[in-house]
Amino acid sequence: MAILYKLIPHLLSWLGILLVLLRGFPVRRTVVTVTGISGFLLGVAGALLLFRAFQGATPFWIIKSSLGVGFLCLWGVSVATVYCSTGRGAMLLWGERFATGSLSAGAVTGITAIVAGAVSACKIPGADGNALAYMALVLSACALTGLAPLLEKLLPASFKVSPSGMLATLVALLLFSSSSILRLDLFSPLSMKVMKGIHDFVHQFMESILIPDHLFVRPVVWKYIGFLFGKEVGFWGGIVIWFTPAILIALAIHFERLPSVAHIRQGAQRRRLLAAAIRERRYRLFIPALALLIFAAAAYQSSFPSVEYWDPKPLPVTATPSGEIIIPKRGEVDLEDGKLHKYIFKQGEREARFFVLMNPAGELTVDLDACAICKPDGYGQAEGTVICYYCKTLIPLETVGKPGGCNPVPVPFAERGEGVVIDSMTLINSWGATVKATVRAKEGAK
Amino acid sequence: MSSAIIETNGLTRSYGDICALKPLDLLVPEGEWLSVMGHSGSGKSTLMNLVGGLDRPTSGTLRVGGEELLALNEDGLARFRREFVGIIFQQHHLVPYLTAVENVMMAQYFHSVPDEAEARHALERVGLGHRLKNRPGELSGGEQQRVCIARAIINSPKLLLGDEPTGNLDNKSTVMVMELLKELRAEERFTVIMVTHNQEVAAWGDRTIHLDDGVLVREDRLKVEGKAG
Ligand SMILES: Nc1ncnc2c1ncn2[C@@H]1O[C@H](COP(=O)(O)OP(=O)(O)O)[C@@H](O)[C@H]1O
Ligand SMILES: [Mg+2]
Repeated sequence: MAILYKLIPHLLSWLGILLVLLRGFPVRRTVVTVTGISGFLLGVAGALLLFRAFQGATPFWIIKSSLGVGFLCLWGVSVATVYCSTGRGAMLLWGERFATGSLSAGAVTGITAIVAGAVSACKIPGADGNALAYMALVLSACALTGLAPLLEKLLPASFKVSPSGMLATLVALLLFSSSSILRLDLFSPLSMKVMKGIHDFVHQFMESILIPDHLFVRPVVWKYIGFLFGKEVGFWGGIVIWFTPAILIALAIHFERLPSVAHIRQGAQRRRLLAAAIRERRYRLFIPALALLIFAAAAYQSSFPSVEYWDPKPLPVTATPSGEIIIPKRGEVDLEDGKLHKYIFKQGEREARFFVLMNPAGELTVDLDACAICKPDGYGQAEGTVICYYCKTLIPLETVGKPGGCNPVPVPFAERGEGVVIDSMTLINSWGATVKATVRAKEGAK
Repeated sequence: MSSAIIETNGLTRSYGDICALKPLDLLVPEGEWLSVMGHSGSGKSTLMNLVGGLDRPTSGTLRVGGEELLALNEDGLARFRREFVGIIFQQHHLVPYLTAVENVMMAQYFHSVPDEAEARHALERVGLGHRLKNRPGELSGGEQQRVCIARAIINSPKLLLGDEPTGNLDNKSTVMVMELLKELRAEERFTVIMVTHNQEVAAWGDRTIHLDDGVLVREDRLKVEGKAG
């Protein structure tokens, strides 16, 4: 039943999706419920097929792409909404008409439901072996679909859903649902992309004005430029991209033109109509505000994932007089159990953090608890992967021990007898070089 | 025959032991100007408050403008007051630190949205075009009462209630206020119910009813050309 508990965010999103769709297509209740539940089941089945057809990360990549496309669509629609609200109403009229037809009700519901189902299915570990969990998911989703029309009737009548507001909420709910699944999460990669983009831009800019950046720029200047390289910039940049569509939609509603009432002679009646229009417009603001809230929840979940990582406290180790660190394969810990084992080595002022891990191929690897590009926040281990705490990149266990990207930096070692032997100078120097480079790149030279 | 805007059956209001309004049957045709007379404490204000939706009867039925007021909840009653009635009291109840225009705009605000141009126009109609920016303290009693009239009619009520609106005014101001009300009624065609002590003021109406100790004791039809035929 623990799995049911884990599925709660996804089931909640599903309920939210249904409520919004039912309110958004008030005259298409049957279409929404029927298409909704069939789409959801199709999504679950589709995810299962993907897991069976592809190995590794591909199914996640496919589902994640569909989420990304949804988010891009939302961006497009939000910009179009702003454009229309400036008075070019023809397109809006067309859009409204399209948005209430049963075909579009079916299409929107179907697509949303398929993605929602697929995302929920990704939460269940071990693609095939978990029939019971899939049953639980499908049954709860069916129950919620039956419940949704009744709940929707209880919502206040003033809860109005415009087409663009509906899209915002649907995308937000899907992203919320996916944000608790590391491999489907969009927000962290987005903020990393923003960070990298700014990073590259600054370097390009420096090169374009012929200043070799790391050498000649004064530390004071670095303090400011370094800020541009910080994680915070990526985070806030990501937040801006994340929230803008919903904000644009809210603004479009806020600045929407009021109906012309100038021709009504009686003041009281004119003002009554005007007040009604203003009230109605205010009610419609509720939905983008709700979407913003859900986006915020998704960003929060992505930044502070509730997934529990295997993250042991680093054990202190010492070197022999000849400068060798020797870790027995079967001492206090079993190095070959496939788990991450962290160690810390200190030599005077200097220190180095590293870990030993046996990869799925059965080879032992020794790596720094840091990668070549991020701040050395270290790694944790989740199912089938290690995660860089700094950039939240997931590194498949198969590739741990290989250098490059955000992979942990490999440390040369030897297996001798019943132990792993590492040269302490190599370790310390490797750590020093890696950390110096990343800290300077990320924060500016001290 | 015009339809009744107010229709009461056995309308009663008591405060504990005191019965302020004994069972009252009253029919007011739409468009009538009804004067209500009676000595102090005879239940005139009680009747006005009931008809205006400011108070609820103890028993009986009370239909105003086709709506059974007893059946309305607080929201419904508030909407009824907002949309249907305009009230002028003896005390002007203007906000002392707001100008005349702002006082009128308050009424618009509680009704729907404020509209300054319209509020200004309403004050011009009651002859206060030159006192728009004055506060109530800077206006004479008659002018204050005219601001109240502008405020009372700004939302185009179907029913205008006056509870001794001229009680504090001298003769000249009283005549001006009554003339103004007559003019406005001719344009806007609202029904008037006017409580007064003053025989002359009562004579502006189509019909006068006399209350005594909560009982309707007498009824005079003053004008033959009244709409209630
Ligand atoms: N809120 C109240 N509580 C108790 N008694 C009241 C209240 N309002 C009015 N009364 C009583 O009801 C009777 C009628 O009052 P009212 O309608 O104000 O008379 P009028 O306006 O004709 O002078 C009076 O005896 C008065 O004391
Ligand atoms: Mg009184």
